[in-house]
Amino acid sequence: MNVRQKLRLKFGAVIILAILAGLISYPQAVSKIPKLYDFFNKPKINLGLDLQGGIHLEYKADLSQVDPAKQKEAMQAMQDAVERKINAFGVAEPVIYTTKSGDEQRLIVELAGIRDINEAKKRIGEMPFLEFKEEKETAVEKIPEDILNKTNETAKNKAQDLLKKALAGEDFAKLAKENSEDPGSKDKGGEYDFVKKGMFVPEYEAVIFDKGLKDGEIYKELVETQFGWHIIKRIEVKGEGENQEFKSAHILITKKVQPEPKVEVVATGLTGKNLKSASVGFQNQGLTEPVIDLEFDEEGTKLFAEITKRNIGKRVAILIDGEIITNPTVNSEIPNGKAQITGSYTTQEANDLVKRLNEGALPVPIGNPINQQSVEASLGKISLEKSLKAGIIGMVLVIIFMLLFYRFLGLVASFSLLIYSALMISIFKLSGFSPWQITLTLPGIAGFVLSIGMAVDANILIFERTKEEIKKGRDILSAIEEGFKRAWTSIRDGNMSSIITAFILIEMGTGFVKGFAVTLIIGVIVSMFTAVVITRTILRFVMGKWLENKLWLIGVKTRNKEQGTRNNI
Amino acid sequence: MINIISKTKYAYIFSIMLTVLSVVSLFVWGLKLGIDFTGGTLMEVQFENNLPSNSEVEENLKNLNLKSLSLQATGNNTILFRYVPEDDKTNQEVLKTLKEKYPQSKDLRTDYANSTISKELKSKSLWSIFWAVAGIMAYIAWAFRKVSRPVPSWKYGMGAIIALVHDILITAGVFSVLGHFYGIEIGIPFVAALLTILGFSVHDTIVVYDRTRENLLRSSSKETFSEVVNRSLNETLVRSINTSLTVIITLLAIYIFGGESIKYFSLALLVGVTFGTYSSIFIASALLVTSYKLQTKSR
Repeated sequence: MNVRQKLRLKFGAVIILAILAGLISYPQAVSKIPKLYDFFNKPKINLGLDLQGGIHLEYKADLSQVDPAKQKEAMQAMQDAVERKINAFGVAEPVIYTTKSGDEQRLIVELAGIRDINEAKKRIGEMPFLEFKEEKETAVEKIPEDILNKTNETAKNKAQDLLKKALAGEDFAKLAKENSEDPGSKDKGGEYDFVKKGMFVPEYEAVIFDKGLKDGEIYKELVETQFGWHIIKRIEVKGEGENQEFKSAHILITKKVQPEPKVEVVATGLTGKNLKSASVGFQNQGLTEPVIDLEFDEEGTKLFAEITKRNIGKRVAILIDGEIITNPTVNSEIPNGKAQITGSYTTQEANDLVKRLNEGALPVPIGNPINQQSVEASLGKISLEKSLKAGIIGMVLVIIFMLLFYRFLGLVASFSLLIYSALMISIFKLSGFSPWQITLTLPGIAGFVLSIGMAVDANILIFERTKEEIKKGRDILSAIEEGFKRAWTSIRDGNMSSIITAFILIEMGTGFVKGFAVTLIIGVIVSMFTAVVITRTILRFVMGKWLENKLWLIGVKTRNKEQGTRNNI
Repeated sequence: MINIISKTKYAYIFSIMLTVLSVVSLFVWGLKLGIDFTGGTLMEVQFENNLPSNSEVEENLKNLNLKSLSLQATGNNTILFRYVPEDDKTNQEVLKTLKEKYPQSKDLRTDYANSTISKELKSKSLWSIFWAVAGIMAYIAWAFRKVSRPVPSWKYGMGAIIALVHDILITAGVFSVLGHFYGIEIGIPFVAALLTILGFSVHDTIVVYDRTRENLLRSSSKETFSEVVNRSLNETLVRSINTSLTVIITLLAIYIFGGESIKYFSLALLVGVTFGTYSSIFIASALLVTSYKLQTKSR
């Protein structure tokens, strides 16, 4: 195969590529041939929600209750639950994914082409967060025994002193006001108004009733209770039997005790993600109060068995959206993976809750979206039309400019610019068949239109170089070759900087920026390809000796014959 | 051949003046940050036929006590609402109130970001600018590693970076003025535009430097350094202007016809690209010559 044949082959390939790309990007061209039209009309551009209307929601997952090792799993479960919920709502191709930002886990929901934005948001917002919690005692730091004893001894001595003073006839009310450590009575001179018998601690009441104390008398000894040491004065007792009431006053010096272990309600790890199904049941036949039966999946069954086993005699709470719905005491281990919620529901409420639970119960709470972008469909359509119009006008203007300035070369450049655009559109459309589907957003279109301007740049670089070489006296074909060779480093180096910034933009990750940067990168790469492969092939094919006497066609006025031909490589 | 290098003094004065003005404006007025960076709500509502006046709408929303509510009428009978609260409930109440007063009103767009998001976006933006500058610096240093005479390669890098900082500062300065006088806010799109300008400005500079590098390798000893630089500038002048013109044409098309959402994004690019072209022609190469002169003087 000689050079000319090779070139013909290459040119043929370029033409075929151009036709294919043209048909994929504009199948309406063959709308008269239904079979062909259907074939080429299949790939569609995936429009972003800013162009077809839709909503972008970002939720922050509250993972404070989740074991760090299980957070990933919880996020996946949450994503699945939301997906299930959205699918039940019937949205075409929802995009739901989780991202990590710093220490925060986020859930992102993108619903493009959705009609009722608020309804969708409401649906997600009403997803129940179901969890099971158990009681847990946490040890509290102990006070050293000797310190405790010493403190209490001092307190007791103080109480003894006070008792002496009170018995010696000092004003009881004044003593109470100044010394009592009972905030409930000290300001009233230590007095408690009438209460029924049985309301106070037994040691206290024993003094009032059983030690032969008369009204208005102070008990001669200190009385020790769980609170500390009391100096007790009986004021009045009235009533009989069960209705006996008494009025008294006391001075309390509190005693320090070891702090009690704290009982906390903690997460068990059993959540909405383990729910297999929920249904409405009735506790007893004939009773109108409905209960909700929960059935767990395999993992949930195992978990629930373990939880009930270790909590026999204790309480296990079932919470929905952070509220305790039911808090029963466990009697025995439950191995069958079934639990029951008894709350005071009406049948209607129970049915609603069951529906919500079945459509997707969340493993962690998500709350309200922290970020929202919603675009109404009509606005999206306007944006699409306007940006497309801007793109077409921009392209036409660039073509006019190129034709005026570079004449014949401009014509070739315009042609390769059209191929460039067709290739870009084809890539957008065909990406849908790959795992890396490109979503075209409004900024993406801006990036595309901008890349048209930049795509021309490579051509301009080459043409300027070629013209220079012709002016120096080269013949046309070798001038083209030299032009490409010399321009290539500039094209490569220059575009590299655009690619670097575009990659950093993608790293930034937000929707607007990503859409723009992705098209820009693809645009830069495809434009290099069209300039170096397509424009070059076309130029080599169509340019030749016939142009030697019509140099005005490529914008070269004079040719420097003296400089010789090829001594300056 | 135009002697561009001889005009260096004027270019320096012009650029220093603009840069200083931009920096002053940035210090005095700052940039008007949009909800991307401050948190808050932006809502676009369309009204039927006769657009109510801002004060009327404000009066109707008075009960809701929206913090720093601002209204801005845009084309197509729409009003942009901006306010600080960024929760769903407030937004629903605003829309409900509007619907009661203006039954035909329609919510076209509701964006909101809470402070977590906006803080994150802010730091992400700053970091991305940092990385972009660092990445480009590294790239230039690498691309020009073979040139060391008469000016060391890192000086090409410095020249490109100074030109780039110049472009970025002036673009930011322009938006600071626009923000102060016309209330134009900047958000994530502005950052994207800045980064694109970074790439584009360096692209232009690299093309000129590339030619300088090539000419230096082949130049006769008769030519001085500044003559070689000037010749390179002239040889790439048409290309620089033409390339920028095509980009400017497309950007103008987006600015004029592309609709409200990307209008200021394209304006930022327009300003940046224009100054990027200017700085590649008049500043970047001039810096090489200046540093060469300083270098020979100190010897």
